[in-house]
Amino acid sequence: MAEQKELYLGYATDKAVTPFFDKFLRELENEKIMKSKCTSCGTEYLPPRQHCQKCLSECELEEFTEREAKLYSYVIVDFGPESLASKTPYVVAIGEFPSGLRLTAHITNLMAPPEVGMPLKLAFEKIDEKRVTYKWLV
Amino acid sequence: MARRVAVVAGGHSKFGKRLDATVRELCAEAYKPIYDEGITQDRIDATVLSYAASQFTGQGAGSALIADYLGLQNKPHLRVESACATGTASLRAAYGMIASGLYDVMLVLGVEQMNRVSSATATEYMARAGDMRWEYPFGISFPAFYALMASRYISEYNLPHEVLSMISVKSHHYGAQNPKAHLPKEVSLEEAHNAVPICRPLNLYDCSLITDGAAAVVLVAEERVKEFTDRPMWIKGIGAGASQMMIQDRPSLTSIPGAKQAAKAAYEMAGLKPNDINMAEVHDCFSIAELIAYEDLGFAEPGKGREIVENKENYHDGRIPVNCDGGLKSKGHPLGATGISMTYEILKQMRGEADKPSRQIKDVQYGLVHNVGQSGQFVNIFIYERGF
Ligand SMILES: CC(C)(COP(=O)(O)OP(=O)(O)OC[C@H]1O[C@@H](n2cnc3c(N)ncnc32)[C@H](O)[C@@H]1OP(=O)(O)O)[C@@H](O)C(=O)NCCC(=O)NCCS
Ligand SMILES: [Zn+2]
Repeated sequence: MAEQKELYLGYATDKAVTPFFDKFLRELENEKIMKSKCTSCGTEYLPPRQHCQKCLSECELEEFTEREAKLYSYVIVDFGPESLASKTPYVVAIGEFPSGLRLTAHITNLMAPPEVGMPLKLAFEKIDEKRVTYKWLV
Repeated sequence: MARRVAVVAGGHSKFGKRLDATVRELCAEAYKPIYDEGITQDRIDATVLSYAASQFTGQGAGSALIADYLGLQNKPHLRVESACATGTASLRAAYGMIASGLYDVMLVLGVEQMNRVSSATATEYMARAGDMRWEYPFGISFPAFYALMASRYISEYNLPHEVLSMISVKSHHYGAQNPKAHLPKEVSLEEAHNAVPICRPLNLYDCSLITDGAAAVVLVAEERVKEFTDRPMWIKGIGAGASQMMIQDRPSLTSIPGAKQAAKAAYEMAGLKPNDINMAEVHDCFSIAELIAYEDLGFAEPGKGREIVENKENYHDGRIPVNCDGGLKSKGHPLGATGISMTYEILKQMRGEADKPSRQIKDVQYGLVHNVGQSGQFVNIFIYERGF
């Protein structure tokens, strides 16, 4: 079997990848984002969890198809952690989908200051060979 | 019924960029005044070390090192970690051990050394207290977590940034009168409002300091208090609370659920209400955090915290004096020392020993400490009662 290249999430990488998380990352590379659903009680999680927060049963990855969200809150990071110092300023936003599920990611194409309530669209990016991410576009 | 527990003594190092010291010397500086009051090593049963982030120094087994350095090498010790709420988590642990009868006399020491690394590295280490899998990859620093709260608060309540700056002006006003403070200087509203952005909407003057320092208090069981002091400060109420790990999972960003939960429990245990409190030390790691604290503690209705600020009710002669030692903003915020430093300040105020009359709060019978870890994942609230 051919060795698969390693894959990580986002700009500052936590290299602690598990088989479950790796599956999420491989799908992300194909521009699919996965939520997870508890095989026992049906609760859904975004971002996904391997274990259900309510009953600790295993969860399964399932495609998450919502793309339109509203900006719930944001920050413009001018002074960042060392690992992202070269990327400042960058904008981090929590977006809320109509289902109520939320996701936190960068907004990468802002031309004016962000505003709470503004529409966001979920998109994907291959940062480099080993890093993939989801992101917001306005 | 558990035994009552009192704070009988306290010590405090100078806060600042302390390149002349490391954690061991800072702890010695905090314990020395206590020793000088006659609470020598042989009178102490055990210690708790509040030391939040050993990655800053690389020193593991911190409580062993500190106990040994202070001549407590053969007394039991342990270390507690709850991010910025480590100080009060340590006090909570010590309280439990004394109330249960395990020990009678405990030294609780808080320390942090944060300035042997650059601010960018410090910011990096603190960002790792966010969810490493889902938050850290996006560079959400500590100021960023609070900026997310601030953006939402500003939008929901139409808050002008100047209100946040007024909180920083007050902190620096009192920090300037505290000889132990890290940045003891006054700042004008214009300066505070127009400072360089750090994590917009928060700027430099909305942020607490990266500080080295230590503070210590001694906790004693009811039956033994008289051997130590005739001016004890009783622990009247303790409340602890918790919030979701990821900030996106909070039902609201204009309040900290764990803080409301902790406040309710503390008031209930003390049998007191918010308007019984004569002074508060609140966790102003960022200006927005102090504003939210007023509301979570019941000093103001949700969205109305700004009235306390605009009416200067939070000054030493106001309705509810808050952080009249300079707070985390001007006194400084050495993570593990902070909750202990807050407790030390209440003891000093109750005893009428604030450094200057211009920051002495009159007749403090009940004082409250509000100490928040990370962005609210852990919160401890203590209500203290003057026992003399
Ligand atoms: C905001 C922050 C990044 C600024 O750090 P910095 O830019 O590296 O600042 P430096 O240490 O280089 O200091 C530069 C100057 O700014 C001053 N300064 C630093 N932090 C300051 C602050 N928070 N408020 C006001 N002045 C500050 C310094 O005293 C120094 O002044 P000087 O030039 O007159 O000597 C840093 O203070 C910070 O991260 N604060 C938050 C800490 C935190 O998150 N704690 C945990 C919270 S729960
Ligand atoms: Zn389940």
